[in-house]
Amino acid sequence: MKKYLSNKKAIVVFVLPAVILFLTFIFIPILQVFYYSFFKWDGVNQATFIGLDNYIRLIGKDPTFKIANANGFKFGLVITVYQLVLATIFAIAVSDKRIRFRKFFRTAYFIPVVLSVTVVCQLWGNVFNADNGLLNTLMKTLGIEWSQNWLNDRNTAIYTVAFVNAWQWMGYQFALIVAGIKSIGEDFYEAAEIDGATALKAHWFITLPLLKDTFNFCLLISVTGGIKAFAEIDIMTGGGPGNATNTLTYIMYNHAFGRQNFGYGLTSASVLVMECLVIILVLNWLFKDRETPLFARKKGVDLV
Amino acid sequence: MKKFLCVLLAAVMLIGCASALAEEKIKLQIYGQYADDDTKVPYDYAVEKLAEAYPNVELELIPQAQDDGATLLALATAGNLPDIYQTGSGIVTTLRNSKQMMVLNDVAEKTGFLDKVYETEKQFMIADDGNIYAFPYAGQEYVLWFVNNALFEQYGLEIPTTYDELIACAEVFNANGIVTMSLFGQEGWNAAAMYDTIATRYIPEGIKGIDNGTTSITDEGYMKAAEDLVKLAQAGVFQNAVTTTNYDQASEMFLNGKAAMFLNGQWYIEDATKALGDNVTWIAYPSYDEASYEANKHAFSGGGGSISGYAVNPDSPNAELAAEVAAFISEKYCEAKVMLRNNPLVAVNTGLTNDQLPKMMQDLVAEMPNMTSTTAFTWGLTNTTWSNSIGVAAQSLLSGQFTAQEVIDQLVFELE
Repeated sequence: MKKYLSNKKAIVVFVLPAVILFLTFIFIPILQVFYYSFFKWDGVNQATFIGLDNYIRLIGKDPTFKIANANGFKFGLVITVYQLVLATIFAIAVSDKRIRFRKFFRTAYFIPVVLSVTVVCQLWGNVFNADNGLLNTLMKTLGIEWSQNWLNDRNTAIYTVAFVNAWQWMGYQFALIVAGIKSIGEDFYEAAEIDGATALKAHWFITLPLLKDTFNFCLLISVTGGIKAFAEIDIMTGGGPGNATNTLTYIMYNHAFGRQNFGYGLTSASVLVMECLVIILVLNWLFKDRETPLFARKKGVDLV
Repeated sequence: MKKFLCVLLAAVMLIGCASALAEEKIKLQIYGQYADDDTKVPYDYAVEKLAEAYPNVELELIPQAQDDGATLLALATAGNLPDIYQTGSGIVTTLRNSKQMMVLNDVAEKTGFLDKVYETEKQFMIADDGNIYAFPYAGQEYVLWFVNNALFEQYGLEIPTTYDELIACAEVFNANGIVTMSLFGQEGWNAAAMYDTIATRYIPEGIKGIDNGTTSITDEGYMKAAEDLVKLAQAGVFQNAVTTTNYDQASEMFLNGKAAMFLNGQWYIEDATKALGDNVTWIAYPSYDEASYEANKHAFSGGGGSISGYAVNPDSPNAELAAEVAAFISEKYCEAKVMLRNNPLVAVNTGLTNDQLPKMMQDLVAEMPNMTSTTAFTWGLTNTTWSNSIGVAAQSLLSGQFTAQEVIDQLVFELE
């Protein structure tokens, strides 16, 4: 192995295919997105250079930009809280050998992940339909006067759509966390048990801190997933009512393909890329190896 | 003996190859509407006739997405346009500039298509540069308010002529679990058409005026129309989920007697008549008061005509053949619409007459000479920003949660 690692030619041969693929399909397209954001372009014909005009209009004047960012934040918040909290609880539960039907639950939590987004949206669309949806009908039947316009209310529709996304993808985070828990050695828990720690304390002081890297990854997925949310919004609300459930991705799609204004759409995409990069940097900084309250590795901590 | 067998084998192989070549069909990809009876019946009919006239041609259908041309633009951007594709006004300018739309002048003449197009339709078929870019099949189409008379009679209500009367009807219908006006607001054009029927009471050009540049979004009429629509939405005239309701859901409500009114194009006459018989009719759009109702009774939404129909990809390896097939398909569409869908409002004179037209269609045909003005459907608008924005704006108004001022301000920004 050492022989290979000291051979620069071998390193180049092994790394080059991945680098070429990354440059061709990720890096160059991203550069193109930034490049065309400085143009007025219909996506087909000759583009006209307009400098920062698209950025000035989008960030400085477009009221939908503010709504889209707020929606990205709300969406991210809902899916982060829902997915991380539930996935962690479920993962810890199914990792406990005393729990019966663990295999069944492990599969059941993951099933929504393998379903098509369209199917999931149709399913929940029927549940949340304000006129004859399952949820409102159920409440009516039970005599609860709390029927809501789940997908058509400008203030709450984004939360409904975010819930659907959170419901579907929770299983993915669950699988990651289960894998993380499995990688923690049994001896940690045995030592905790000898010290007289309760199961809750053992998980608090052992499982959670040792899952730090997994949580970092899960958080990255859910937060960036929130700000670039699109599929559920397109299928369930079409960005509406009005522009109430627009996100930066939806602005990009709507301007590029709905209005043949690719330049403006790509400006939105550029801002989205920058936002995602900032979030990644911030999260990596927050999860850097150091003493933090949540992930403290206190020396000689009392587990009892 | 060996020589004889070799010759025989070679002969058999040659015959086999020759017959395989003779049977080889030319496949043409076609991107067209294929969603409901009004689009499936003409397509199937045209394919059947094509098999007789062009036995060597086989069509491979890519059903058109209801996405206001987004998929077509994506295909054009990627350089993957099919051989034949259905197009609307908004994308014609873009694709003809990028040379992805074949000039069809010669084929239109050679096939005799040009001679068969009604004079009233020719003005829309021929673009401003004098060229033909698409073979149309739809004639002038109109937005109609369909009414289930039986429901109005059942609850002792008069057909409304003003918005106040409409709101009074809504109170009764809502109390009985009936939706007053069912819309499929998920589709921007349907929401925009609803707004347009109100805007035409103030400004006869409706949404077309802004596209033409003859009116401005800041004109008072557009604001008043927005206010009226918000008022109707807040009074419960539309279903709660109006902005997320699709065509199937909205139509089902109307055809099953769960909605008293429905807004759609005149192509819906056939389906409505089949399901509701004599109980269904179309009415002049209600207005803000009696006087304006009377004054604008013959001002219609839709009907403006536009460059649309089947266009051809000039980069197709069989472009000339595809152009001939596109002309053929468009003409057969017209035949099917006249004979099988009872819709005589087509672009091409097929020489066929249908004396079995439903009463609603007869009434519409009789009304046409009296029409004082028409507008356009969103797909007939040339300004893509406007056609997209008005759909979103109308959805905002239909939700009843946005003020008219908010929506008009947004439109002013979009059109800047």
